[in-house]
This record gives sequence, structure tokens and C-alpha cells, in this order.
Amino acid sequence: MKIGVEHYLTVSIILFCLGLLGVIVRRNLLVIYLSLELMLNAANLALVAFSRFNNDLDGQVFVFFVITVAAAEVAVGLALIVALYRKRRTAHVEDLTLMKL
Amino acid sequence: MGYEREAGGRGMSYLELLNLAAPEAIIALAALAVLAADMFALRELELHFRLAISAMISCVGCVAAIGWMLALPEHGNVMGGIFIVDPLGQLVKIGLLVLTLFTILISLESNFTVHAGEYFALVLLATAGMMFLVSTADVLMIFISLELTSLSLYMLTAFDKRDVQSAEAALKYFLFGSMSAAFTLFGLSLLYGLSGSTSLEQIAASIRGPRLDPLLVLALVMTVIGLGFKVAAAPFHLWAPDVYQGAPAPSAAFIASGSKVAGFFVLARVMATGFKGAEGSGAWHGYLPGWVPLLAVLAGLSMVVGNFAALVQTSVRRLLAYSAIAHAGYMLIGVLAYGGSGLASLLYYSLTYGLTTLGAFGVVAVVQQQTGGDRLSDFAGLSRRSPGLAICMMIFILSLAGIPPLAGFVGKFYMFSEVLRPGSPGMGLLWLVVLAIALSAVSLYYYLQVLKQIFVAPSPGAGTWVSVAPVTQQVVLGALALAVLLLGCFPGWLVQRLAGAMAPG
Repeated sequence: MKIGVEHYLTVSIILFCLGLLGVIVRRNLLVIYLSLELMLNAANLALVAFSRFNNDLDGQVFVFFVITVAAAEVAVGLALIVALYRKRRTAHVEDLTLMKL
Repeated sequence: MGYEREAGGRGMSYLELLNLAAPEAIIALAALAVLAADMFALRELELHFRLAISAMISCVGCVAAIGWMLALPEHGNVMGGIFIVDPLGQLVKIGLLVLTLFTILISLESNFTVHAGEYFALVLLATAGMMFLVSTADVLMIFISLELTSLSLYMLTAFDKRDVQSAEAALKYFLFGSMSAAFTLFGLSLLYGLSGSTSLEQIAASIRGPRLDPLLVLALVMTVIGLGFKVAAAPFHLWAPDVYQGAPAPSAAFIASGSKVAGFFVLARVMATGFKGAEGSGAWHGYLPGWVPLLAVLAGLSMVVGNFAALVQTSVRRLLAYSAIAHAGYMLIGVLAYGGSGLASLLYYSLTYGLTTLGAFGVVAVVQQQTGGDRLSDFAGLSRRSPGLAICMMIFILSLAGIPPLAGFVGKFYMFSEVLRPGSPGMGLLWLVVLAIALSAVSLYYYLQVLKQIFVAPSPGAGTWVSVAPVTQQVVLGALALAVLLLGCFPGWLVQRLAGAMAPG
């Protein structure tokens, strides 16, 4: 069987959906972060695959930038968790209930 | 015509590039200068002076960037749309800088943080991100500048470290924001795959025929979801009320003003340039799949959800948040009127809305410092306590409601008439405009509720104490109110500039 771009795309869509499912279902903030990273990396996989099959390097350059941005995002996100944990002693989303309609 | 990629041949020298990106460079330098000044020179000073000096450096940076753009109007296009400098972009950047300037000025009297340097540096970095966002037509740059803006805004939301609400709001903002970033990125990566290019023009060129590729539809939906989160359109608005309520008031004001303007500009650009040829139609009897019906549905939902949820709010900040969601709906109608003067009407509306909402949050900040809360009852009798503040708030609220001599009315009128202009792709969206006007009438109820508290309700307690807002705050809020009034009375001034900047050549 020849592996084509559609196979890569399928895998990346599955990864994206798994990430999204994790963000929605899981309750621990750290696991949610992992799932968010999975969503970004699903996009990375799609970009690299498209770049390979389009014979164009732009996609791979894009991925480098995305990885850098994702690292910055994790830094900010972890800082926010620490800030919350200091105040509330919790890292679970069910406890984020201070403000409601 | 399509921007040609420079293959080998004549590249652009770094000096030329720096010349084009000078305003952004000035803002980034100002951010570094604020950080350095705070680290080396201001540590021992009193907080009040630290805030004042840091704010002064930031203001100098903003004014220098505005002056640069006014004095040396440059034009250029780096590497096929990665960085575009054109008159329209420069005008929007000036508008963004003015909003930043006012944000800095209303943060001047704040006491929520001791980290003055970091606070203003983050405001400036977010501004730099927004400026890059409005001067690019390339999906890579759009993603990076969107993230630069968002990451700075997450931190600005969490800046009040003594307040539990602030951290919680920031975390919610972060979770929704990162998810939207992932959606945007996936949508953009599909667009890259379909067209083999990251430039919006090239992407549009690869869209053929009225029958849309299923992958293109997926890309469109994902991009709209991602950008819809950023501009707080329903049903992706869930973060907005919490962030507006929990964030420090100046940060909330900045999120509601600057990031809205930049977000709508980039949404309009991605849709009108990148999805050109995939418009579809949202007419009542002539539905065709495409981005116009998609955005029309989002606009309708935002207006309904925003206006009806605002009716039951007791916190003025949450009320402003739901009103912001409703306004996002109105502004989506402006996106549908893209092309020609449609974009001008959207920009007029978003810029004046930015000024108005900045002012409203400024008043909320002052009231909150004096009474310790932002509930409707905390505003009771404000007109007796500080009449100046009450009149400013009246102007802002009436402008948000869209009452005639004020900017909010002109903006709505201009935008709705642009949508129905013959030849606009939004033609046939009469149902949406009718809905918008009907819901504006609903919105009057909750806006007047605020004014009733301010002017009619008796002051709680003794009601004899006269509170004096800090002079700088009064001057800044007065200037904002005056701007809203003047832009409403003489809209031609801004509209002509926008239309002139958009004219080709």
C-alpha cells in the first residue's frame, strides 16, 4: 500500500479529535494542557505532511514557529496554574467556580 | 493582483525591512525600555511614581510610533504579503495605538499590582502583536501575531495576584484561547495543504468554482471557530463574561477594545482575501454554502445571546461583557459588508466601540476603587457623588445603546446601510439587519438600567460623601467622552480618512 497525504491527514484529524476530547472530558488542568499540545501537534503533522507532498518547504518552517509558540504557551499556562494553585490549592477545573451567571 | 514571491533575485535589505516595521520596532523597544527602567532605576521609588514613570515611557513610545507613521507614510510589501504596509493598515495601527495610550492612562491610578514595569511592558507587547496582526496577509504571521497578542493578554488578565478571581479568569481565558489557537492553526494548516502556499492571495487563487471542496469547508469552519473565540462571538463567547469580570479593569478594557479591533480586522481580511470565491449566500431564500451564511448565523446568535443574557446581569462588568458579545454580533454584520466602503464602516464601528468601552471600563474602575464592587447597586447615586463621572458614563452607555448624536448610532447606521448596499455580498441579509435593529431596542432596557441607578436611585448609606476621582482619571475619561461625542457629531472626519486610505493607488 502506498502511503499518501490522505493517510497522514486522517491520522492528524484523529489526533486533533483525541486532543479536543481530552480538553473537554478531562478534569485535571495538567492533562488538559497535554491535550492542548496534542491538538497543536496534530496541526504540525498535517503541515509537515502537506509540505512533503506539495514539495514546498514553507510548511516545515511553519512547524518550527508553531513549536516555539507552543513552548511559550506552556510557560504562560504553567505560570497561570501556579498562580491559581497558590490561591486555591487546586488544579481541577471543577473548582473554577468563583464566577457564574 | 497577486503579490509575486521574490525568488532569489532582489531580496529586501534588513535596513529596508526595519524602516517598514519601524512603528512596531519602536513599541517593542519601548516595552524593553520600561522593563529596564523598572529593573534598574525605579525599584526603590514609591509605587505611585513607578507607575507614573513607566506609563510615561510607554506613552512616549506610543506617541513616537504614531508620529513616525504620520510623518513618514511608507508603503511596502515584504515577501508576498508576509508584512504589508499600506495606508489602511497604518490608519488602523494609529487607532490601535490611541486605544493603547488611553489604556495606559486609565491604568495610571491603579493599585492592583506592584509590578509596574512588567504590566506596561505586556500592554506594549500585546499592542505590537496587534500591529503585526493588522499588517499581514500570510497565515504564518497571522498565527504568530495572534499568539503574541493572546499570550500577553492572558498574563494581563492574571495580573492582580491578590485576587482569586483574576487567576481563575486568566486560566479560563487561557484554556479557551489555546483551544481556539489550535482550531485556527488546524484550519490554516488545511488551507496551506489545499493551496501549497501560506499567502492568503494564493490560497484564494486555489479556490475554484461554486462547489466547495469538503476539506475547504472543514478549513473554513475551523478558522471561523478559532477567530470566533478571539472576537467573543456566540457560541464561542463563554470566556468573555468571566474575563471581563475577573481581570483588573484596565486589562479588561484593553481586551474589550484593542484586541476586538485587531481581531475583527484580521477576521475580515482572512474571510475577504483568503476565502474569496467561497462566499456563498445567506439570503433568506437563496442559501448557498460559504462563509457569508456561516458568519451570518454567528452574528444572529451573538446578538440574541448577548442581549438577552445582559438583561439579567447585576454586575456591571458582566453586563458590559454580554453587551460586548452583542456588539460582536453587530460587527460580524460589518464583516459581511466587506469590500469597498463596507470595511470602512466596520473599522469606524470597531474603533469607536473601542473608545466607548474603554471609557465605560474606566468609569467602572473608578467606582470599584471607591465602593469596592461593580454591582449595579454600587453605582446608585453616582450622579450626586461625582457628577462629572456620571455624565461621562451616560455618554458611553448611550453610545453603546446607539442613541443618535453619539458615535455608536452613526456606526450602526453606517454599517447596516453598507450591508444592504446593492452589490454587497451581504445583500439579502435584510433579515439579519432587522434582527439587529429589533435587538438594539431590547438592549436599551439594560443600558437604561445602569443609567437609572446612576441618576435616579438614591445613594446608599448617608449619601453625603463626595468622592473625587483622581484628576488624571477625570481628564482621561472626559477626553474619551468628548471623542465619542465628536466622532458621533462629525463622523465624516474619520470616515473620509478610512475611505481615502482604502482607495487604490
